[in-house]
Amino acid sequence: MEQPTSTFHLFDRVKNGDRGAVSVLIDRHRRRLAVMAYYRLGPHLRGLVEVDDILQETLLKAYQQLDQFTYRGPGSFLGWLSLIMNHVIADAARYHGRQKRNAGEMLPLRSDSVPGGVEPVDTQTPSRIIARDENLRIVLQALDGLPEEYREVILLARIEGLPTKEVAERMGKTREAVSLLLHRATRRFKQIMGERNL
Amino acid sequence: MTDSASRPDPEPAGPDKEQLQANALADFLDRRAAGEAIDAESFCLLHPELPGLRSEIETLDSLEGLLDTPVVEAPPAASPSWPERLSGHKILSQIGAGGMGSVLLGADEALGRTVAIKALNPRYQNDALVRTRFMQEARAMARLSHPNIVHIYNLGPSEEIPHFVMEYVEGAPLTDAARALVLEQKVDLMRKVVQAVDFLHQHQIVHRDLKPGNIIVGPDLEPKVLDFGLAKQSGADRRLTLAGEIMGTPDYLSPEQARADALDARTDIYSLGVILYQLLTGVTPFRADSLSDQVRMICEQDPVLPRRINANIPGDLQNICLKAMEKNPADRYQTAGEMADDLARYLAGETVLASPSSYPRIIAGRIEQHLRDLEEWRQDRILSLYEHDSFRKLYDRLVDREDAWILEVRRLSLSQVTLYTGGWILVVAAILIVLFRYNRLADNAQMLLAAAAAVPTAWVGIRCWKQGRLRIAIAYLLAFCLVCPVALIIVMNRWDLLTGFSHGKLSLEVIAQFSVTERPTNAQLWWAILLSLPVYVWLRRFTRASVFSLVFAVMAALLPLVTLLRAGAIEWFPDDARKFYLWLIPVALAYFAMAAIIELRRHPGDSRYFYPIAVLFTFVALTGEAAQDARYADWLARVVPRTRGQIEYLFMINACVYLLLQSFSERFGSAQLRSVAKVFRFVIPGHILTSLLFLGISAYQAWQDGDAAMKGETRFFEILLPLAACCFVFGSIPKQMKNFFATGLLFLGIGIVFLQHDLFENYALWPVSLLAAGLLLMYLSIHYTAVKLAIRRRRRSGEK
Repeated sequence: MEQPTSTFHLFDRVKNGDRGAVSVLIDRHRRRLAVMAYYRLGPHLRGLVEVDDILQETLLKAYQQLDQFTYRGPGSFLGWLSLIMNHVIADAARYHGRQKRNAGEMLPLRSDSVPGGVEPVDTQTPSRIIARDENLRIVLQALDGLPEEYREVILLARIEGLPTKEVAERMGKTREAVSLLLHRATRRFKQIMGERNL
Repeated sequence: MTDSASRPDPEPAGPDKEQLQANALADFLDRRAAGEAIDAESFCLLHPELPGLRSEIETLDSLEGLLDTPVVEAPPAASPSWPERLSGHKILSQIGAGGMGSVLLGADEALGRTVAIKALNPRYQNDALVRTRFMQEARAMARLSHPNIVHIYNLGPSEEIPHFVMEYVEGAPLTDAARALVLEQKVDLMRKVVQAVDFLHQHQIVHRDLKPGNIIVGPDLEPKVLDFGLAKQSGADRRLTLAGEIMGTPDYLSPEQARADALDARTDIYSLGVILYQLLTGVTPFRADSLSDQVRMICEQDPVLPRRINANIPGDLQNICLKAMEKNPADRYQTAGEMADDLARYLAGETVLASPSSYPRIIAGRIEQHLRDLEEWRQDRILSLYEHDSFRKLYDRLVDREDAWILEVRRLSLSQVTLYTGGWILVVAAILIVLFRYNRLADNAQMLLAAAAAVPTAWVGIRCWKQGRLRIAIAYLLAFCLVCPVALIIVMNRWDLLTGFSHGKLSLEVIAQFSVTERPTNAQLWWAILLSLPVYVWLRRFTRASVFSLVFAVMAALLPLVTLLRAGAIEWFPDDARKFYLWLIPVALAYFAMAAIIELRRHPGDSRYFYPIAVLFTFVALTGEAAQDARYADWLARVVPRTRGQIEYLFMINACVYLLLQSFSERFGSAQLRSVAKVFRFVIPGHILTSLLFLGISAYQAWQDGDAAMKGETRFFEILLPLAACCFVFGSIPKQMKNFFATGLLFLGIGIVFLQHDLFENYALWPVSLLAAGLLLMYLSIHYTAVKLAIRRRRRSGEK
């Protein structure tokens, strides 16, 4: 996770017109954002829009609207980026008209694949950022192997970095249920990583 | 990964224990997320009963480890230590630093020249993605050779840090260099830059980061375009931009860049427009306190007109600048070459082609405010409804975005006049070929001539329209509109189509009456017009210029006339003209219906051409009926014997018809029908008062001729005329009808003279009493309110 003081410090520098600080700030979240974009796009949109494009547009928008962001503690910057990404993906979905109806559902990270259907195999992902980034590939492979609910809880709690209380709100569960889910998901994740010898 | 991954975890004893462990894990994560410095080891020691906790935290930490991007920030000020030599050149100093790389000054000792070396910043040197991008930029540049684009000498070998060696350009950034130059020099400099960018585009490279700092002007006033940091090869879909690094100066950002839309070469044209703006005015067009405000301005606002900043800037340069800076890429110059051509045109003292869409928009924006004012004024009764309508009509024409080209067309410049004169001569020539016989022009030659007139005009017209040269396109297309039916007739002549005369009689052919040939026949005329109509409709839809609606309306008005000709109208005229006028009535009604339908379907720009034609048909038909139809007059004499079928009474009936039409179109009407009502209303007083005058004169003459019975009638009309005139004068008040007032006054005067002539000859009291009456009226009007109140009081006391 980010170090709060450091992030805060960086914002200070950004406000003073330090462009380099913006790069550092944004670079820090690149992989997380890539994972988020990958799952928010869902299997359908993923064929039409590249994760790279979503990332790029999100970061550009973030850069442009930077002065609207106020620092509210650790994680607030990633949360803000995540909101922007939602808009970008909604725009992309709207652009590819046929996804229109699904765009709303897709945002809360539920991939709307056929129920019981096989998870899409994306070993040959078209996205260059994923293809180039070994770490990212490992994470995505492991997450792809998880059952839907497990994956969701890990995405919300660990990738987006939300506190469990907020995860519970998003998933419509109690905090206890979410904790349990996270605990089981972690064990399963570990198992997958072990199996694949990653 | 820890080795615990391979070892099975100790299973929790029961569901309660599992929940405990889950809660502990969640607690730990939440506390850490909240920024608490909490150590995993000590936390686990607090929970000895949960043996699996530790490994779970480790698993999640390993996930974090995979996701955290190792970003090493370059030390802010201290320049990174560069190797002593790159590509064999000695590094002298660092002369610039950008987002990705730094520019170093190097000495090429072998050739004895100074070179610039662009090297990737150390913080990116281990990032494969950035390295690839960086070298792609170098390769893209190395392929190009243009005097105004910086040269790449060589790419750095793979064992050294990524870098490339390029020409060292000594000079100043464009805007700094331009400060000391005169306008012509600035424009010439700009033209060279635009040409260089055009060269880039021709090699499928979009620069995407054009700004004065990236254009260095040497002492020889040759600009060099450099820094392709964001360059994209538009052919291959290789995106060279790294996420988060489109961080060009927002001043030169195009709206589509600001919105992160798809980019193409036209985004560079926008940036060139901004640079030109800055060269001309000395300031960038969009300045704001915050980045988001600036981005919003770039996307939404029109820039301040350069001439507002400096009135010495030629209008043509302002046009070029605004055209390049259009918000919609489709409205800009489509290639940098076009922009360079326009700049060259300016330098040569010619008129430039650019016509920014912002001008009509500026007018439209202001007019909308005016229209709102007008509406308010009307509601506040500052303006009468009629004044309001007439303002509206004028403004609507200006607002009509389809008529944007009118702004240009309205200017009667030499080229404009030449253009239309040429088109008109072309049309007249084509008509000559049809109307007259030329022994040396065989049928085939006529065909060729027709094709030569029609096809190129249409082709050039459509091409110019697509290129946005609307002024010229409209002239060509209008010429084509008129040549089209003529060409159709020539085609029909060539294959002897429809050569039969109406009812088989040559005497019924309209052309045969005037010209030496018997062709075109009425049938050919009819078909030529009918077949041309779809062309006009298509042109209207294609160009959205309402002038083609006018052409359509006029041609469609000719169609029923030719139909009447085919029915034998020429034969009717000597003795039975009424038939013609009778037929015109349904035609006029059909036109009204057509106009109303078009207006109801929300094409007011089109319907406004149909109403005048409908009104014209109505006037011609009713006037012709009144003047020419003997049966109509007989009917009137039979029904109202007193009228004796005099034509004056028929005109009075017409006036009544107009009154009906007027009140009808006013009650059910849109704004356009209201103006139709105005036209009808306009002719009413003239019709009635003239009729009364002539009736009085004819009765007087009959009386003078010895018919004593006419004396009473003469007196009746003598009195009626001034009374009716007074009615019109005072009837003008409620609807502010100035024509009622003026006509009434005129005929009141005539009536008074008429009375003088007959009744009060040599009767001194008559002018004296008139004088007194005039003075009384004028006096009363001064004390209008007091008199009115006095009358009202009297009446009230009378009631009591």
